[in-house]
Amino acid sequence: MLNTVEKIIFILLAITAAGFTFHGFKTIIDSIRKGRPAPELKDVPGSLVKAAIAVLFQQTIFKARKVLSAIHMGLFFGLITYAIVNLVDVLEGLIPGFDLVYGGVHLPNAPTGLINAFNLIADVMSGALLIAITVFLVRRFIVKDKALTFRDNVLLNPKVKAGGQARDSLTVGVFVIMHVGARLMSQAFRLDAGADPFMPIASFLNSIFGASETGVHVAWWISLGWVMFIIPYLSRSKHTHFFMSPVNLGLAKQNPRGQLDPAIPLKVIEGQKFDPGAKVVYDLAWTRVMDAYACVQCNRCQDVCPANFQGRPLSPSALEVNKRYLLKEATFGSHPEKLLLPLTETVISPEAVWSCTTCYACVRVCPVGNEPMADIVDIRRRMLIDGYEIDSGVQNALQSLATNGNWMSKGKRLRGKWAKEMEFPVKNATEEPVEHLWFVGDTASFDERVIPNTKMVARLFNQGGLDFGIMYQNESNSGNDVRRVGEEGLFEQLVEQNMEAFGKAQFKQIVTTDPHSFNTLKNEYPQFGGKFEVKHYTVTLLKLIEEGKLTVKNKLSNYKVTFHDPCYLGRYNGGFTAPRKLLELLGVEFVEMPRNCENSFCCGAGGGQIWMGKVAPGERPAENRIKEALTAFGEGAKDKAQLFIVTCPKDMIMYSDAVKTTGNEGKIEVRDIIQLVAEAVMVVA
Amino acid sequence: MNIVVAIKHIPSIADDLPVKGVNVDFDSVDFVLNEFDEQSIEQAVLVKEAVGGTVTVVGVDLIGELDAVLHLALAKGADKAVKITGDDPAADSHQQAKWLSEAIKGMSADIVFAGVQASNDLDGQIGAMIAAYLDMPYIGGVSSVEVSGNTATVNKEFAGGVGAKYEAALPMVVGVQAASKPPRYAPISKVRQIAQSATIEKVAPTGEASAGITFKKMAPPVAAGHAEMIEGSSKEVAAKIVELLKSKGLA
Repeated sequence: MLNTVEKIIFILLAITAAGFTFHGFKTIIDSIRKGRPAPELKDVPGSLVKAAIAVLFQQTIFKARKVLSAIHMGLFFGLITYAIVNLVDVLEGLIPGFDLVYGGVHLPNAPTGLINAFNLIADVMSGALLIAITVFLVRRFIVKDKALTFRDNVLLNPKVKAGGQARDSLTVGVFVIMHVGARLMSQAFRLDAGADPFMPIASFLNSIFGASETGVHVAWWISLGWVMFIIPYLSRSKHTHFFMSPVNLGLAKQNPRGQLDPAIPLKVIEGQKFDPGAKVVYDLAWTRVMDAYACVQCNRCQDVCPANFQGRPLSPSALEVNKRYLLKEATFGSHPEKLLLPLTETVISPEAVWSCTTCYACVRVCPVGNEPMADIVDIRRRMLIDGYEIDSGVQNALQSLATNGNWMSKGKRLRGKWAKEMEFPVKNATEEPVEHLWFVGDTASFDERVIPNTKMVARLFNQGGLDFGIMYQNESNSGNDVRRVGEEGLFEQLVEQNMEAFGKAQFKQIVTTDPHSFNTLKNEYPQFGGKFEVKHYTVTLLKLIEEGKLTVKNKLSNYKVTFHDPCYLGRYNGGFTAPRKLLELLGVEFVEMPRNCENSFCCGAGGGQIWMGKVAPGERPAENRIKEALTAFGEGAKDKAQLFIVTCPKDMIMYSDAVKTTGNEGKIEVRDIIQLVAEAVMVVA
Repeated sequence: MNIVVAIKHIPSIADDLPVKGVNVDFDSVDFVLNEFDEQSIEQAVLVKEAVGGTVTVVGVDLIGELDAVLHLALAKGADKAVKITGDDPAADSHQQAKWLSEAIKGMSADIVFAGVQASNDLDGQIGAMIAAYLDMPYIGGVSSVEVSGNTATVNKEFAGGVGAKYEAALPMVVGVQAASKPPRYAPISKVRQIAQSATIEKVAPTGEASAGITFKKMAPPVAAGHAEMIEGSSKEVAAKIVELLKSKGLA
């Protein structure tokens, strides 16, 4: 189709484009390789295939924003189709007589069915692409969806602030419209025999513009000439996403969600010494440097972030966006010195670093397998080592944890005080063998507001004939939140103390009250040699009831309840069913909140937030959650008491406060699930 | 500049305080660093960071567990640690001040820091007594220290929110109430690293205190009386208070 001069021009263009594209991806790969060693990935080909399948079916985006995700799907399939269409178009331009796409008219021997199918798909997907891209452009530029913006207090790269992202989106949006529009026109121009039923859109355009040999050439050049510019551009824009997201998803975290990467890479590299955590961008694991290139800046993570909700200066997506702009300025641009700037100046503000509750919602919702939360923990780790001034409340907690083994500045010997007050002896697991070692945790052991529930757990275990014991003063804080605050050394010290205590004890499995302890004992202690079976008390209670050791004598049909999934039990460890099953057995009327299970909303206490001396302004996540529960309950059924059920001692405190501060006392009451179980099996306090 | 910090290891009040005989049952209580000493260590390190020099931390090892405290001080920026092997958990502030000053004598200190008081005896005497034994001036209740040349400028706090600024010639002893910045946090990894590598100098206790405290009886306080919350508008509350004072014969 093309004449010789055109062919030469095109081939030269293609070679130049290939050169720039190669340079683009080489720059990206080189920069990713400068990251630190990441935890070992197993069966990489297998995970890449799995990721490819997930991408093909667009599974991961549907975790949020269902309608927009469906439109993204149109865009995705449109672009996949266009990759093939472009290839065929190029071949047609270069090889005389290769006009496969021309309704089969000029190729009498070609399988007509195949050509018709190809043309139909290409035509329909052109329409889909145009619709999808228009929706996205309208959303960003006309409707100005707030979800695509950042709060004023969030640290942003100056180029992002100046509208870099929007320009990038517009460039690619306009490209898609021009490219697809031109391709449709080229098809329309060549329908000299009139409408083709397998090209409805092109046929419609043909009915307006008619056929034109020159038109075909011009349209071909607009359609494919553009591609030669846009492909190299992609590697330098956020749309690197097209290529890097599937790879990033394939190389995403394989370890359990509840297991943080070590502060210093486990892999030893000759001649290289690593400081704990991350100060500059290449202190991050290479897989997390890659996150920046995979991120298309959709802000799904920001939508689910409890700190962002409260108006605090944290946006997980801004972190990735800033990382990308930093890397771009340093690698594609002329500012390599920026790589040496602290992440707290370039990527995330210190206030934002200390706003994170480590609830994992951002990582869970990310369609491309990014882990902004892990970056935040790494940054905290280094800040602590470098002597950054930390919140006084956190410092007091850490100091108490270092000296007393608990964050409440209580003496070690007081840990088992509640047990000594019981009407039956509670075994000391470090002195006599027990089947279940109950790891009680700090809040449940020391907090006067929670101790009545702790005693209730003990009574139910006792009534159910469970052979259990606690470790009294030998138990130390599990260290889950200490690790997430970034105090890796103290975490290790606490692990050692507990491992020493476990060493003195004889037991078959561990039961925890606190989901936070549950998480680290289950997912992180194994790395320190602590391989035990760990259960949350909801599972143990359910088993006691199912085995008939505890009997529900009193159905609680007078209660209307909803259940809050604690982050570290639910999202982190999938403990969704036991609490719900328990509630079902108790006979309560159960109402699910809109944000439940994987999508549960953090109470705001995790990741050390409960220790903070300074209280951030704004509606607290727990307050919002109480309102969500009341909305879910709706009107009516006022004859029933409305209960907000928790299975985490920290939740008991957070939500009881939130009920008061939102002025909802009398409308809703916070109860630990244990209180309901006790009432149903008629264990008296 | 030779900066010396005298510290005190005291029974922790995080636990219920057990009593044995006429004193605390030292066997069933944990010992911790006096919290005012945390402030004075911080102030000493701040001075060192401003004008250079070395910080030496010295304390009496009452129960053989002072090392952990000294390691923490080293992790926070002290350069040398010295422990006096007193080995008597009942040693009072008079005795400790004597031992400390004997140990400090050989250190040619330019400035000595001590916590203004400790929560076990609350007498606020150690700093003042060290100053007396070393024949140096003493200023207590201090909330910031700046050193320039041979002079220290200190802020001293008085009751009622009144403060005073003093200039004093070195050497001197300072009783620290609060450092000019909150005490820094020492990451445990650093503390543990230091615990493995640091050497702590041991000094035998010398000298007898000329005076001291004699315990006659030690008992937990008995809860007595109760608080009554007066409710109502400010006028009503005021009226009730007046009435109450009258009824007790106080007005």
